[in-house]
Amino acid sequence: MPLELHEATATLTDVVTVDEVEPLAAWLRATEKPKVNLRRCNHLHTGALQALLLFRPKISSAPANAFLAEQVLPLLAGGNGTASRQGSEPP
Amino acid sequence: MNPLLAQFLAEAADLLTSVDEGLLQLERDPGDPELVNEVFRAAHTFKGSSGLFDFPELTRLTHAAEDLLDAVRGGKLDLDSGMTDDLLAAFDLIRGWLAHVTQHERLPASAGADAAILITKLRGPLGGDATTPVVEKAPIVHVIAPPPEWLSHFEQEWLDATATWLTTTSSTLRFARYLPDEGCFFRAEDPLHLISQVPALARIAVVPPDEWPSPDDYDEYACLIGFVLATRAGHGELDHLFRYVPDQVEVVELDGDALRRFLNGEVAPEPVEAADAPVVDDPQDPAVVEDAYAILAAAQTSLRDQQEVGGVRLASIAHSIASAAAALGDISELSDLNAEQLTETVNRLLGSTPAPPAAPPPPALIERSAPEERIDRGRADDPGGQVGTKILKVDQEKVDHLMELVGELNVAKNGLTFLADSAEEEFGSRVLSRRIKDQYSGLHRIAEELQAAVMDVRMLPLSVAFSRFPRLVRDLSRRLGKNIELVMEGEDTMADKDVIEALADPLVHLVRNSLDHGIELPDERTAAGKPPQARITLSAVADGDAVVVEIADDGRGIDPVKVKRKAYEKGLISEEELESMGDQEAVELVFRAGFSTADQVSDLSGRGVGMDAVRASVEKLGGTVTMKSELGTGSVTRLRLPLSMAVTQVMVVSVAGQRFGIPVDLVVETVRVPGGEIGRVLHQDVVVLRGEVVPVIDLAAALRMPWTPDENDDRRILIVSLHGQRVGLLVEQFHREVDVILKPMEGLLAYADEFSGTALLGDGLVLLVLNMKEVLGLAARAA
Amino acid sequence: MTTVMLVDDSATMLMSLKSILTKAGYSVETAGHGKEALEKLAKGVKPNLIISDVNMPQMDGITFVREARKAPGMRFTPMLMLTTESEQTKRNEAKSAGATGWLVKPVAPDQLLGVIKQVVPGA
Repeated sequence: MPLELHEATATLTDVVTVDEVEPLAAWLRATEKPKVNLRRCNHLHTGALQALLLFRPKISSAPANAFLAEQVLPLLAGGNGTASRQGSEPP
Repeated sequence: MNPLLAQFLAEAADLLTSVDEGLLQLERDPGDPELVNEVFRAAHTFKGSSGLFDFPELTRLTHAAEDLLDAVRGGKLDLDSGMTDDLLAAFDLIRGWLAHVTQHERLPASAGADAAILITKLRGPLGGDATTPVVEKAPIVHVIAPPPEWLSHFEQEWLDATATWLTTTSSTLRFARYLPDEGCFFRAEDPLHLISQVPALARIAVVPPDEWPSPDDYDEYACLIGFVLATRAGHGELDHLFRYVPDQVEVVELDGDALRRFLNGEVAPEPVEAADAPVVDDPQDPAVVEDAYAILAAAQTSLRDQQEVGGVRLASIAHSIASAAAALGDISELSDLNAEQLTETVNRLLGSTPAPPAAPPPPALIERSAPEERIDRGRADDPGGQVGTKILKVDQEKVDHLMELVGELNVAKNGLTFLADSAEEEFGSRVLSRRIKDQYSGLHRIAEELQAAVMDVRMLPLSVAFSRFPRLVRDLSRRLGKNIELVMEGEDTMADKDVIEALADPLVHLVRNSLDHGIELPDERTAAGKPPQARITLSAVADGDAVVVEIADDGRGIDPVKVKRKAYEKGLISEEELESMGDQEAVELVFRAGFSTADQVSDLSGRGVGMDAVRASVEKLGGTVTMKSELGTGSVTRLRLPLSMAVTQVMVVSVAGQRFGIPVDLVVETVRVPGGEIGRVLHQDVVVLRGEVVPVIDLAAALRMPWTPDENDDRRILIVSLHGQRVGLLVEQFHREVDVILKPMEGLLAYADEFSGTALLGDGLVLLVLNMKEVLGLAARAA
Repeated sequence: MTTVMLVDDSATMLMSLKSILTKAGYSVETAGHGKEALEKLAKGVKPNLIISDVNMPQMDGITFVREARKAPGMRFTPMLMLTTESEQTKRNEAKSAGATGWLVKPVAPDQLLGVIKQVVPGA
């Protein structure tokens, strides 16, 4: 199951496809202080990323996947990338 | 042969047939768009599959044909008979090539030269050798550009560090903005997935919507965000990756200075934005011209407004101008980067370019404005899908194999009757015998149904046999200068595939005969008070378990008097017959062996093959052929063939201890007469049956088998009917009638004409089935 | 297992693509034209990717894609069109009908497998 929804925590596993977007959004909408575990997530559909950006849940566990960890996680941590955050090394 | 090639060849045969048919129909009905489309599609499919193999000439030739058909389809050209001829010739050439490929798995050596001639012809109406390989131009325009405002989506800190790094290392980075449209999820696009594949990705950032919706209004399937990214990947890599969404992606190449300028608050002016519009290499396209015009106008403005332009800025303007010039078909040399020269070039280009009706909106803005369409597309969950007839294409061999298995089942089933007999005779159990017979009848019913079902699978429409005639009639009538309309009726009538296949040659012969001898030249027809256009009708109709095929023409018909005289001259009929023979009988003389002669053989009607050959092949199929003709009004040849020839019912008889089969439809009756009742008339044994004298042939003698009937026994005589004549066959014993699958004679026996085939019997014995016509001939010679 | 549905009226093309995909470990469904493919979808075949020809009898590829998008569970399924070099306008038509992208015939194995990785996450 790519998506496990519990009372306060959602666990996203492996490839989260567009099929998971609706239940994830519904859960985020209904959950008061949502936490999302991305540790074993390998891909987030754009729609899932967008839902996370809108609802801003707490990321309880960072993804192991390199692309998600290096490029996507920073997007979820700050305010849509507009806020200045910890800079990374130049390329 | 490699199975893919085998598949291609099989498919090619079908496609060629439909192309031929379609072209001929088109010639008659040139306006039919559906028909043009069909022919185009066949040519198109052909080209597509040919690309899988190393047959470049084939691909080139079909490509040329496809282009011509496409022009016809698009209404740019009207198909005339010259084009039709060229197209037909092209597909004929291809047919020849494929025959060669079937043999040698490569094209003939002459293919290149032959193709070149036809390609030139086919391209003629299109305006010469328009081998325009439509090169897919890089859809994304790249410029070393002033920094676009969207860089602001990256964090300032990171930009700052990156600018320093790029300046220090004198290197550049590609920056891209990707703005997917709202409905993109419904095309299965996943922008983040695409971005994750960008090689050497340095950084990504989200382009948020202008305003996030409230959670209650949030539509999770509308894509509201976009991305900006920085990468060291080459332009080629980016072009490839974003090739499906070129209009949603903007790529710029920036160096440290450019980033620094951005950080200092310099934002890109308009011209560069416009330069990001797709540039296509087609000066005819008004949209492109319009875009180019806009770019040039913008460049002109920025050159005029900014006196001090230099370095990267000037380079980017020069690049924009060069792109615009290329789009207008002007390859300008812009090697010297100086402002005066650029201004001059722009002025020159603008002077020669018509002003566009209106300025185009920036492409990026169009994408985000189609929410209604998206809803339409997305939320319709109704199960679509219409149900059509499902046709299964099955390899002929598989059906044949199935038929063989049915035959074996029949044989195994027949074995039960032998078992029943021995249960009673050897083991004395009538009860067991009865039960076996009950089992047998159950099995018999199933086997019969199975057989009928398989036979049904083997049925093909007569159109398969008819399909070659439109082409044949068209070509031959042109060559002969005759004007002929071919009418085909009842093509849907079904018959067994073996019958259809075997019908092909006789039909061709008959149609050619009509064309060649039957139909008069237009002048002659007019003189005879007939319309100049002649008509040949090919029709098929099912009649019980037979199919009747007629070839009718309204030509000059056959003169019975001439035919009789000719037959007499050739010694085919006696003087007496010459006098007494009726017209109908006379017409049928054309079927006699030796009637067709060299002076009748033309290029068209085939050499040396007469109507007797037609009759022989039809009879071999178990059919009959008759002809009716009226002098001056035309002829009708009628073929009557069994619908199916897969299963033959044979009567099993034995002679000299050996069993033989005789087709049941020839058998009239079986009689037993005392030896003394056999009479002898003119060296011929005869028996008198109900007042009719029937000649009796000793089958054993005819087949040269030693056998003398027991003096005291009754003689067993099988009465058969052949060409309306009754003949008795003296045999040793009658056996049962059985259904058998007749297999052609193979090996040494292939030349034994007295047998028409073999069949396997229930007790494992091979039964030879007699060809009665030949057997009677043998008997006559032996006598 | 990733299932790819191939729709093409050319049996040769089907055979060639199928062998590439099967060797690469994909499960393959084939259909000879759009209607047959829709029928399969209606019966519950749920491919992870559909690759369809453009020019087909009975129902052209673009109409097929438009209809297939309405089939149960196919809203978000990647669909690619098989096109030739010269069919650029068809590509745009196909995209507005809901196609994800296209392939250019003849399709080389690398091109085919590459594009699947590109459009099917986790394939």
